[in-house]
Amino acid sequence: MVFWRKGVADGANSSALLCDPGARPYATFEEVGMTIGGHQILDNISLSLEEHRIGVIGLNGSGKSSFVRLLNGLRSPSRGTLKLFGQIASDVLKELPRHVGFVFQNPDHQAIFPTVEEEIAFGLTQLGADKRESRDQARRFLDTHGCLHLAGKPIAELSEGQKQLVCILAVLVMKPSLLVLDEPLTSLDALASRRIRHMLLSLPQKIVMVSHHLDHLESFDRILWLEDGTLRMDGTPSQVLPAYQADIDRKFEAVQEAEAF
Amino acid sequence: MTSIYLPGNSWAHVLPASVKLLFVALMSLILFQAESLLLFIAALLLAVACYASLGNPGLKRLLGLKGLLYIGAIILAFHAWTGTMFEGVTMILRLAAMILLANFVSITTRMDDMLEAIQPMFRPLSWFGLSGRKPALGIALVLRFAPHMLEVYAALQEAYRARTGHRNSWRLIAPFALQSLRMSDNVAEALSARGSAGGMADHLQKPRKNTGNGQ
Repeated sequence: MVFWRKGVADGANSSALLCDPGARPYATFEEVGMTIGGHQILDNISLSLEEHRIGVIGLNGSGKSSFVRLLNGLRSPSRGTLKLFGQIASDVLKELPRHVGFVFQNPDHQAIFPTVEEEIAFGLTQLGADKRESRDQARRFLDTHGCLHLAGKPIAELSEGQKQLVCILAVLVMKPSLLVLDEPLTSLDALASRRIRHMLLSLPQKIVMVSHHLDHLESFDRILWLEDGTLRMDGTPSQVLPAYQADIDRKFEAVQEAEAF
Repeated sequence: MTSIYLPGNSWAHVLPASVKLLFVALMSLILFQAESLLLFIAALLLAVACYASLGNPGLKRLLGLKGLLYIGAIILAFHAWTGTMFEGVTMILRLAAMILLANFVSITTRMDDMLEAIQPMFRPLSWFGLSGRKPALGIALVLRFAPHMLEVYAALQEAYRARTGHRNSWRLIAPFALQSLRMSDNVAEALSARGSAGGMADHLQKPRKNTGNGQ
């Protein structure tokens, strides 16, 4: 289905697009580091991303959110080289939101417009579609995802699961080739979380997802474990997840022993 | 998260946003020039009638503005103290009519319609190579997030009350300011993630500065 008219959204600017959405790997980190206010957030990250589903794990403050924010230009490296879709990231910052959809943890801070239809249509207007065109396409898009009944509803009146679903759809309508999700399931109940995960796994887009729920990442192709801003372990879920869990157990026991002492 | 917009298909919803904004602007001009008490009362009644025309949801929104009565009472008390009661009454009626009419436009206008209606006002910015969409979106975002800010404050009040038994304190100002700044940073980030306020037609975007929000 054509969600926006050729020549409007894809129009004049598309000839100037530099990124190759089909590039493999789609992201290459060469000794990437990031420092914010003198505090080192990421250090010496070198890796390539090309798998379909990649999970990112780590304790709070390990650098996960900063790491994934590099993927759509929300943050820039302080050191090293970051290539996205075959281009140096800093050269294509304006273009990245076309290719990389970003879903945040809190839908209340992500939804910019008050109603579902407006929120979905906003992505299309960002790409150049006019208001009426984007409204029509937003309704069609909602219809293809079985959510047309939500179109006129204020986002404020939706359940947390529905809000997060709307945020994901608002990003998907822009047809990104990569979807980055920063703990998108944290505030959801078990049913809503399962529905969103089921939906995510059925998407054709490549996915990079941060999560504290290890069971959510078991079916992923690759897991990156960040610790203190560095890459502690990189491998398949069967390699990384048990090691991470064992590390948490060890740390917990150490804290217990220290408190007892 | 609450929303100012009241979904519906009433006459007011159907009316173009530009017409509604022009009407409010015209009424503001008239009300600020006029000195007639009768005119102010008529304008206030007109505003109330507009809410009533939306049925119960409209009247509920009208009642939601009862907090303005406190402000009115303060203004009236001040005028009573200075011996200018008549001026106080006219000022309150004038302000009430204008606020109610402006709010009526907000609750019956979709944000994208509002955006489209106010964007032409910023067209002169293009003479200087600036985007008119950004300030227009800024105004729309204020309308969108104003009720959310009230919710944030209510949550802080609740937390404070749970631990102190008091509902309000000046001590809430600092956490409220911090939460507001954090929220504005999150919203700005969400907007940047979808191509910034200017949309993706403009190729002048610079990288967002690292703000230290999130790790």
